[in-house]
Parts: sequence; C-alpha cells; structure tokens
Amino acid sequence: MVVAQQQKSGAFQVLVGKIDDVLQYAIGDPMRYLANWGRLYSLWPVHLETACCSVEIGAAAGSRFDMERFGALEAFGSLRQCDLLIVMGTVTRKLAPRLKLVYDQMAEPKWVIAMGACSITGGLYFDSYNVLRGIDDVIPVDVYVPGCPPRAEAFLQGLVLLQEKIRRAPSLSGR
Amino acid sequence: MTLETEYMPDADRIMSVSLGPQHPGAGHFRIKLWLDGDYVVRAEPDAGYVHRGEEKMGEYRNYTQNVPHLERPVILDSSNILLPYALGVDELMSNKIPARAQYLRVIMSETNRIISHMYFLAIQGLFLGHTTLITWCMGDRDFWIDFAERIAGARVTFAYIIPGGVRNDIPSFAIDKGLKLCDWFDKRMDEYEKIFFQNPMVHQRSDGIGVLSREDAIAYGATGTVARASGLAVDVRKDEPYSSYDDFEFKTPVMTQGDVYARSYVALLDMREAVKIIRQALKRLPPGPVRLKLGPQPRVPAGEVYSRTEGARGEMSYYIVSDGSPRPYRLKIGVPSAKNLRVLPVLLKNVHIADIPPIYWGLNYWPVEADR
Ligand code: SF4
Repeated sequence: MVVAQQQKSGAFQVLVGKIDDVLQYAIGDPMRYLANWGRLYSLWPVHLETACCSVEIGAAAGSRFDMERFGALEAFGSLRQCDLLIVMGTVTRKLAPRLKLVYDQMAEPKWVIAMGACSITGGLYFDSYNVLRGIDDVIPVDVYVPGCPPRAEAFLQGLVLLQEKIRRAPSLSGR
Repeated sequence: MTLETEYMPDADRIMSVSLGPQHPGAGHFRIKLWLDGDYVVRAEPDAGYVHRGEEKMGEYRNYTQNVPHLERPVILDSSNILLPYALGVDELMSNKIPARAQYLRVIMSETNRIISHMYFLAIQGLFLGHTTLITWCMGDRDFWIDFAERIAGARVTFAYIIPGGVRNDIPSFAIDKGLKLCDWFDKRMDEYEKIFFQNPMVHQRSDGIGVLSREDAIAYGATGTVARASGLAVDVRKDEPYSSYDDFEFKTPVMTQGDVYARSYVALLDMREAVKIIRQALKRLPPGPVRLKLGPQPRVPAGEVYSRTEGARGEMSYYIVSDGSPRPYRLKIGVPSAKNLRVLPVLLKNVHIADIPPIYWGLNYWPVEADR
C-alpha cells in the first residue's frame, strides 16, 4: 500500500495502518475478517502448567498486569472450550505425551505460545537427561516468548503478537 | 479435564479418577483418586512431571555455574534455596562472610518469604472461592517484587545470594523504599485479616478440613508452615541460627488446629514476622564490603557439609560432597515440598472432592520444587 510508506507523523501512520487493515481484510474478505476478529479478543488459555514459568503467568493474570484486558482469560472449565495453549517452561519426558494429548483434545482453531527459554530450546536444562530441547518436536508453535522466566510484560507482548497473527490469518479457519 | 475412568474389579462402587496434570486444582502434578460417590477413599500422588535432574546437573557445573539453575525449581522462594547452598560452600571454603552481606542475605530471604507466601495466599483464596484475596495478593506481591528488583535487578530469579556474600550492594534509595513498604504492609495485613481470615465463608470452607494431628506431623516429618500449623514449633532460624538471624527479634508463629485455615493463617503470621525482621535489618545495616573475591572458578577443599535454612515452605537443605575439584562431587537438595508431600495421602482420606484443592495447596506444595 503506497500510502502507508509515506513518512508522516506517528498518529497519522497509525490511522493509515488501520484504514489499510480494514481495506485489505474487511472489504477484501469480510467473513474471514469478522470470524478472526471474533477469535482475537476471546482467547481462552488452557490451564496446563509445565514448570516454573507459570509463576509469571500468575503475575500476568494478576491485578497489576491484568491479562484479561487483552482479551485472554484463563479457562478453568473444559479443555474443549480452550483455543490457546501456553507452554509454561520445561517439558520433561514424562510430561511430553500429556502435552500432546492436551493439544490433540483441544478444538480447532488452536494456537500455541512457547513461553520461556526451556520450551524454546531447553534453556538452562539443555543438557539434562530428562528435558526436551524445545517443544517443536511435540506440537507446532505460533509465538515464542524468550526469557527465563519472561517478564509478565514480555508475555503480554507475545499475546499481542499472536493476536496480530490471528488477525492476519489467511483463511476462515483461523490458521 | 483429563479423566481416566476404570472400575476396580472387586468393588463396583469405587471409581478411580486421575486429577491432573491438566487440572485447575493441581498444576504439573497428578493425584490418582479412588472415589466412592463424592468421597475420596484413597489418594496417591504422582509426582515427577517436572523432574529436571538438578542434582546430576550440579555435578557437571562448577560452584559458580550452579547458582542460577539451583534457584529455578523454587522460583517463588528463590533466595531461600540459594542461602543454604551458599552457607554450605562458605563452610567448606571457611569463608568469613562480611556482616553487611549477612544482613543483606537476611533481607533478601525474608523478602522472598513474603513473595512466596503472597502467592500461596492468592491461590488459596482462589481455591476457597474468595476472589478478592487473589487480586489483592497478586497486586501487593508485585510491590515486594519491585523492592527485591531494586536490590537484585530481576523479577523472580534473583541469583543474589552467592557463595562468598551477595552479588551487589543495596542501593541507598531502596532502604527508604523498603522501610516505607514495611509500614504500609503492616496496615495492609490487618485488612487481609478482616476480609479473609475473619470471613465466615472462609471459616466454613476451611475449618476442620484436612486436619493433621501433631503426632502425624512428627511421624511423617512435616516441616515449615504445615508443621507449625499442627502445633510443632520448628524453625531453623531459631533452632540453629545462621547468617546473623540471632541479631533479630522475632517469634515463631505456631497454631494448634492443624487444618486448612491454620495453614493459611500461619502464612500470614509468618509474613508479619518477616516484615519485623526486614525492618530491623534495614535500620541496622552495618557498613562494609558485601562480597569476598573468590575468582571465577573457586576450588573447594575436599570434605562434606550439611547446611539447612528455613525457607518459606519449610526446611531447605543441602548435602554437598567435595573432592577438591571446582565441581561438587555430589549435591543433594532437600526441599520442604518433598517432605510435605508424604502427608497428602493421609489428609486426602474421607474428604469431599471439592475439598481436594484447598487441602493440596494448603500443604504449600510446589511440584517443581519437589521434583527438582
Ligand atoms: S525458562 Fe527458566 S523460568 Fe521458565 S521453565 Fe525454564 S528454567 Fe523455569
């Protein structure tokens, strides 16, 4: 889009970007835009804690960082209602089959955030005998949030990035 | 909810159910339950989902490299797990820790005690159906995290207490902030008492639930808040003072009911004492250096040492064997969660399903710590 490349003031650029989005996604394919927009702000993360990064999820869901204002609220109900799997850190050999099971039980469309160095590469525990070196072999990952543990702000940024990805999803199914 | 349902061959009424590892009442941990209607007949904890081989890793990293990975399992209470390690290595190397470093160690470990108990109370409020407590505790916990961050520069994993002292000195503005925070938090805890601990709803849900008798606490080797809630006055800070804890005035809170309510209330009383200690330490902080020069790869003389401290959940201990090389020959970590887990099958007998989460979390059990 030619307009967006012009160097203008910040607020103007944001406005142009928004109009650009609407033109591209809403007018081009209104059903897809509407469906993905609906998914965007109603992410329900599964409550599957895998290791110590869950402390920062607790902080992010707590009252200071308040994950809910970004449209994600931890679901304490059923797995079938959830569409976001946050892998909070180390995945060990014992947990890996369960992680796969949880992922398979979730209904489509579903997304995965790999949180913490451990779930990305193994982190501090890369040479431990019981730890997977990253979860990519087990389930597909959409957004990686590095850190050990990532600060709550970093996690929220990962969430916003995921929402951006969902907004730009090329198909109606949200993937 | 992941359910494995199968009927036991002998009794048609008994149903076995698996609670966890994906369950809001039990994170990274599974409890196998045998149920008769709404009652739990038998419970068997299944730990080990987060076993990361800390002890083996300790053997192929040197004494300095061991610091960051040792604090990860006990991330809520990260300074209290490093303190016994530092004490043990210091004892092996015959280090004389400067007085200022000892006080800073005390400040940091008491701050961590508060941070850990706030998280504990937050989740306990959630499990008891008291949503105000989780929002209050999570919010107020962040003020203490801010204070610790001013000293150590990280949010939860501080790596502040190291062999030979502490990593860096406390900035002067943090002292004033800390004193103000202590005064504010004292008043804040009165509000906690009013809204949570004097709440009839909370009393109804937690009084007389999961009672652990004093005899059982001794027999099963319970420690920390669990033992103190059952009338057992165990506190390593008093029994074997370390790191100049004998300079400070504080009490060991003990309650006698031994139920879920007592275990939650002991945590609040613990925090009151911790605030007292922090205030005394900040006011009387002695001048001087905070760290000995040890070099990047300190060699530790051959020998063995057992060191223990009082963490937020209970007794933290290390058994370190050195053969004179830069790496430990054996590093055994003793954590309170592993000790208190033995109590869980005893408490989960003839209780309602709805009481499982408060009883489980009331033990202040942190699976990552127990699995190591
Ligand atoms: S990345 Fe760090 S904090 Fe997160 S699970 Fe791994 S060791 Fe724990």
